[in-house]
Amino acid sequence: MISWFATSDAGDASMVEAARNGDREAFGQLYSRYSRMVHGILLARIPHTDVDDLVQEVFLSALPKLGALRDARRFGAWLAAIARNKAIDFHRRSRPSVELTDQNVVKRVDGQITGRSEHAEGLVILAAIRNLPDAYRETLLLRLVEGMTGPEIAAMTGLSHGSVRVNLHRGMQQLRKRLDQIRVTARPDLGSLISG
Amino acid sequence: MKDVKDRYLWDGSGDPDPEIQRMETVLRKFRHDGAVPDFPQNLAISPRTRRFSFLSGRLIGFAAVAAAILILLAARMIVREPNPAPVTEPGWNVARQAGSPRVGAKTIDGNTISQRLGVGQILETDSQSRANITVDQIGEVQIEPDTRVRLIKSTPQQKRLALERGTIHAAIWAPVGEFVVDTPGALAVDLGCAYTLHVDDAGAGILHTTLGWVGFKLDGHESFIPAGAACPTRPKVGPGTPYFEDASEALRSALSKLDFEAHTPQGRRLYLDMVLREARARDALTLWHLLARASDADRGLVYERLAAFVPPPPGVTHDPTARLDQRMLDLWWNELGLGDVSLWRNWERSWSPGESNSK
Repeated sequence: MISWFATSDAGDASMVEAARNGDREAFGQLYSRYSRMVHGILLARIPHTDVDDLVQEVFLSALPKLGALRDARRFGAWLAAIARNKAIDFHRRSRPSVELTDQNVVKRVDGQITGRSEHAEGLVILAAIRNLPDAYRETLLLRLVEGMTGPEIAAMTGLSHGSVRVNLHRGMQQLRKRLDQIRVTARPDLGSLISG
Repeated sequence: MKDVKDRYLWDGSGDPDPEIQRMETVLRKFRHDGAVPDFPQNLAISPRTRRFSFLSGRLIGFAAVAAAILILLAARMIVREPNPAPVTEPGWNVARQAGSPRVGAKTIDGNTISQRLGVGQILETDSQSRANITVDQIGEVQIEPDTRVRLIKSTPQQKRLALERGTIHAAIWAPVGEFVVDTPGALAVDLGCAYTLHVDDAGAGILHTTLGWVGFKLDGHESFIPAGAACPTRPKVGPGTPYFEDASEALRSALSKLDFEAHTPQGRRLYLDMVLREARARDALTLWHLLARASDADRGLVYERLAAFVPPPPGVTHDPTARLDQRMLDLWWNELGLGDVSLWRNWERSWSPGESNSK
């Protein structure tokens, strides 16, 4: 797997410092580097149709609080906590889902035309992951949806390598079990689709 | 991780695990695209001059940024939530995908936040419009152009939609039987996953199952449609006989005549013979359904043909099956490996007779 994340704490710290000093480009780089992590954390908690908008909100609300971040090397863990709180706020508000952007509409419609069954299969797996315990679903979504490796998840979220390994391993065990149950009961063809 | 497959899960190294690769493939479309949004200019961060001095440039800068963000968020709420009325009625969220779908008299356009579809309300698309319904945490329904649907019921135990005309694509992960769609020709009961349902202006419908299986029901008629299969319906007639979509054209044509056009015993026998002749092992799906649809005189032919492809399991014998013994038919269905019929029977028992599709 090709790692496209730069995971150096020192690199993060210098970008956070630059963003604090008004460097918009640095803020953009932080967004590029961490938006998938934020997206995965939100996806574990709120409907996927609402996630994209909320990613932007997380960064917009994090920006003015940057001054309160004592250790710039802990930016990822700090941002992850903001994202989790944002998801809680979302449910408190119980607002209707936000409208899709035009860009996303094109992507979604294209996807449905070229692979409707894949889309449906993805929704089912997504739902199965979201029914797993908290720790497992977040880590699995970062790995399977956002394409991050275990070491990248650890570096970004501030979790230890050991915790991420356990979450991935046990989470995947539970996910396979759930999908097997779906296959042998109500959805006999799902398993064969998953295994290609 | 000692297991080689777990190494792939951990960092993508080692032998790829096909199951995980498949998950990555189908989940990739939900990934964030990573594109940096064009943050408004008024979010510009003032440069810091002296970090620790009171009222330093940094503090002033962040105060300005915070103010700008508050203004932006307030403006955003005003623009995007013009009528933030609390939602108290049961209903589903509708998001526009293209054009201007309508919920009741309200149009969802580019400036409108998603609309709530309440019980009893109608969602309608014209030839240029598409919409997406989020069904209370249990699935999604895509509404194609020229479609009209009505929300009949939304409770924790049951979600029920009427498709009056047009095309919907449903992807559902609710427990079996929780999501139901009324059509003029039959009731479509979700038994797991995804399907496309079309109803024309005359009320004739067809259901294509993409994933899992779906049950079609009208009064005493029922059809089970597994992934890769389709089933037509007609108003007042009910569901036809399901078939796999890769069945021969001759089989499908004969089946259509048998279901909806042939009314004399001779005519029905003619088309039944054609179906039996064209059937492959995979068409056991169709043959099983024909057991209940064939006349008493013809049922033995269907029995023999089906038995040649899928031998009846222990306990299933000719005579009771020919008398349409439900238990034996169910045992044989389960032998086809297309789904556990007990899920359907459980749903039937829980379904209130007063709610059956009587159109």
